[in-house]
Amino acid sequence: MKAEKKEKKYALYPGCIMPTEQYAYELSLREILPKLDIKIIDLEGFSCCSEPIKSVNQMLTLALSARNIAIAEKEKLDIFAPCPMCHLALSDCKKVLDSNPEMKEKVNNYLKEEGLKYTGNSDIISILDLLHDIIGIEKIKKQVKKPLNEIKIATHYGCHLIRPSELGRPDDSENPQKIENILKAIGAKTEYYPEKLDCCGALLSANLPDSALTKTGQKLKSVQELGFDAFVDTCPWCHRQYDARQEKAGSIIAAKLQVPVFYLTQLLGISFGISEEKLGLNLNQSPTETIKGEKP
Amino acid sequence: MSNKIGVFVCHCGINISSTVDIKKLVEYAKKLDGVIVSKEYKYMCSDVGANLIKDTIKKNKLDGVVIACCSPRMHEHTFQGVVEDGGVNAFNLEIANIREQCSWAHENKEDATTKAKALLRGAVAKAKLLEPLQTSTIKVTPKAVVVGGGISGIQSALDLAEEGHKVYLIEKTPSLGGRMAQLDKTFPTLDCSGCILTPKMMEIANHPNIELLTYSEIKNVEGSIGNYTIKVNKKARFVDIDKCTGCGDCVTACRLKDRITSEFDEGIGKRSAIYMPFPQAVPLKCTIDKDTCLMLTRGKCGTGPLCVDACEANAINFKQKDEEIELKAGAIVVATGYDLINPDSLYEYGYNNSKDVITTMQMERLINSSGPTKGEILKPSDGKKPKSITYILCVGSRDETECTWCCRIGCMSALKHVYLLKEKLGDEVEINICYTDIRSFGKGYEEFYHKIRGMKTNFFRGRPSEVKTNKDCLTIDIFDTTTNKLFEIKSDLVVLVPALIPRTDTADFARKLHISQGPDGFLLEAHPKLKPVDTFTGGVFIAGCCQAPKDIQDSVAQASGAAARAANILSKKELEAEPLVSYVDEDLCSGCATCISICPYSAIELIKEENGKSHAKVNEALCMGCGSCVGACPSGAMQQKGFKDKQLIPMIDETI
Repeated sequence: MKAEKKEKKYALYPGCIMPTEQYAYELSLREILPKLDIKIIDLEGFSCCSEPIKSVNQMLTLALSARNIAIAEKEKLDIFAPCPMCHLALSDCKKVLDSNPEMKEKVNNYLKEEGLKYTGNSDIISILDLLHDIIGIEKIKKQVKKPLNEIKIATHYGCHLIRPSELGRPDDSENPQKIENILKAIGAKTEYYPEKLDCCGALLSANLPDSALTKTGQKLKSVQELGFDAFVDTCPWCHRQYDARQEKAGSIIAAKLQVPVFYLTQLLGISFGISEEKLGLNLNQSPTETIKGEKP
Repeated sequence: MSNKIGVFVCHCGINISSTVDIKKLVEYAKKLDGVIVSKEYKYMCSDVGANLIKDTIKKNKLDGVVIACCSPRMHEHTFQGVVEDGGVNAFNLEIANIREQCSWAHENKEDATTKAKALLRGAVAKAKLLEPLQTSTIKVTPKAVVVGGGISGIQSALDLAEEGHKVYLIEKTPSLGGRMAQLDKTFPTLDCSGCILTPKMMEIANHPNIELLTYSEIKNVEGSIGNYTIKVNKKARFVDIDKCTGCGDCVTACRLKDRITSEFDEGIGKRSAIYMPFPQAVPLKCTIDKDTCLMLTRGKCGTGPLCVDACEANAINFKQKDEEIELKAGAIVVATGYDLINPDSLYEYGYNNSKDVITTMQMERLINSSGPTKGEILKPSDGKKPKSITYILCVGSRDETECTWCCRIGCMSALKHVYLLKEKLGDEVEINICYTDIRSFGKGYEEFYHKIRGMKTNFFRGRPSEVKTNKDCLTIDIFDTTTNKLFEIKSDLVVLVPALIPRTDTADFARKLHISQGPDGFLLEAHPKLKPVDTFTGGVFIAGCCQAPKDIQDSVAQASGAAARAANILSKKELEAEPLVSYVDEDLCSGCATCISICPYSAIELIKEENGKSHAKVNEALCMGCGSCVGACPSGAMQQKGFKDKQLIPMIDETI
């Protein structure tokens, strides 16, 4: 019993979009994790995860990712990266450096200047690793005070969280089920829907904004037509598409979309009985009040 | 002891001579102790080379021969005959492999010559200590066992029986027929599968030389080429097959009628707990499924078992038990067939999301007039006729994450279905085929493909990324690599063409027969080109899809080949037995029995002595000369003729 109560510590790698725009993700994380015996440590000096420059400069990509990991290694902490894109970048770097000593040496030559060294001792933890595998369904169940009363929720994993499978992503690339398991634990219902694995479109935003919003809108439209009460995600990039840009997406595909979109961490918080304000629910731009007021 | 040894060095064209200095090697050999003559020739295995060896033996009255040439696997047998003709015992011949182990493996001529000298030195050292051995003979049991009652096993059994040999045909399921019995038509000729198969099944049933053992499985195999003992478990049918007339009254009467999933109909049809797999089953006898029958699972069936009331022949017997029988045979033909990959493992194709995603085998049963829909093509979800059908080829085949191989029948079976479906549903039914390549390689296949291409069929070259289950239809996303366009196909029915995989119990089965599996899990042939139906175990042959995926044509051809190879053994009264067997020095043997536990051929037994001690004894007829016991023996009591420690150790000392 003692071992179970023991608090686990992780260095939080916030990435760029969460601390600058998607505050609700961070707020809800910081609310629920202490209840699940996870302590978040904030470290100084993190830089960009490197994912956006992957196709431009491989060496810089590796050095930038390795630098972030090295900062956590220095404190002997594993890294928790809630943004799936960051998690992919850091995991990719770890896989390359752990299997290629020559590359590791090159990268460490760059890091020397700052007194940092990549060793490979820290693990990179994703949101699903943490909630589903480290904390576990049973522990989540124990915290539930207000079960979600059977509301039917459509799950969205996003591409980065489950692909490419060779990198050892946190869930199956074709049939991911961990979010479903977590939702069941807090009393919600889930169901298969054909568009479950469809892309949110976010990565097309820069050069093909209308195509991006078409992808976003089509998925939400299907979810709405299939009678889901809400939509849940764990990626801040996807969330921005489905939540903040929902109305615009609707206008592009000529549909009136009214799908309540939540972060998984917000739903966990609601079921744990945490107040709406603390979970940043007022920051969601999709019509979340339609369900949060009555059903849960 | 030989002290008049001749050394013969072969050039093997330029295979050896371009890397090994033959002249130097020949001169070097002359100086070795025990060697009295040394010669070279361009092709030692030719007639001229053989005569050179024979003449040299006679002229110099040699008592031992060393040939430096290719691997003994290639020509040892040839050269044994040559030296025997010359007057030297075949087992006083030693081969120094200076091709595979020397010239082919090296580039530097000087180094290769040094190594060739070392190999030759070792061979001469061993040749000096070799002893003449005599081959013995073993009697052959002139009977064959054929395992598997599909088309391959049927063909092998008929060929062997026609040749006059007694054949036991063992089939695991209640009836002969295998996969072919499940098919409707066969490609590319569109012959009715049942119509060409059932006459052969009847021939098996009526052939005086064939004893058919259905619903039976191999438990254990002992012995070796010419003399195998096979233990077979005849599973209880709970029906006395001497009394059963195959009238089927019990099937209609069964309380569980149409409630048990039919294996023969690939899960889309229903049967009773007492059943015949299909109307043309051979033997036409009923079998009770002990896992579902109420009497056999719960001990009671309503007010009494209805099948017993219905059976006028009084054939039903719930007390029947499995029976073990022992068969003797000189050769075994294995034709155990294949399994199909379960498409559940490829989640993206939606097999476990929608009833309207089916496999080719299930489609065969839908098309077949004796199938669950009486030959009508109906969607399993709602029983309506589909307006659009999409085939996905290579499901699990040619796929790094599942099976790397081609299933060899998928393309043709899908093309065949196009023809049959257009016939049944009319020309207006839309058929889409998502393919990787169309492999129409066999005789008449390309012409058949050409015919189908003219039948208003949409061909998409690519692998669908996903089959999505919508409310009213299935959608398939596919990137067509011929037009570089992404298509979304809407379809009522999706047919997956699954990979052919080895039977799931292959490893266990292979162990019972002492045969090998390849890296893909299929049973392994002794040589991919020159011994395609032999295994590494003498007297055991393989045919059909247990060796690798193939179509009916190739399976039948291979089955006849395997039967002919088996007949080679059965037609001889006696076989020559290699004398290179193990033997025990009884004075040294402590009777620890380590060798007995390790012998893969059960060739060693423990003999109790009068003084309470015991020692091992080798049955020379069973010993295959693998040498495992020699390596395992802690005291050195176990030795192998031709490979004794006192012959090998000097060889090693000289070589290194």
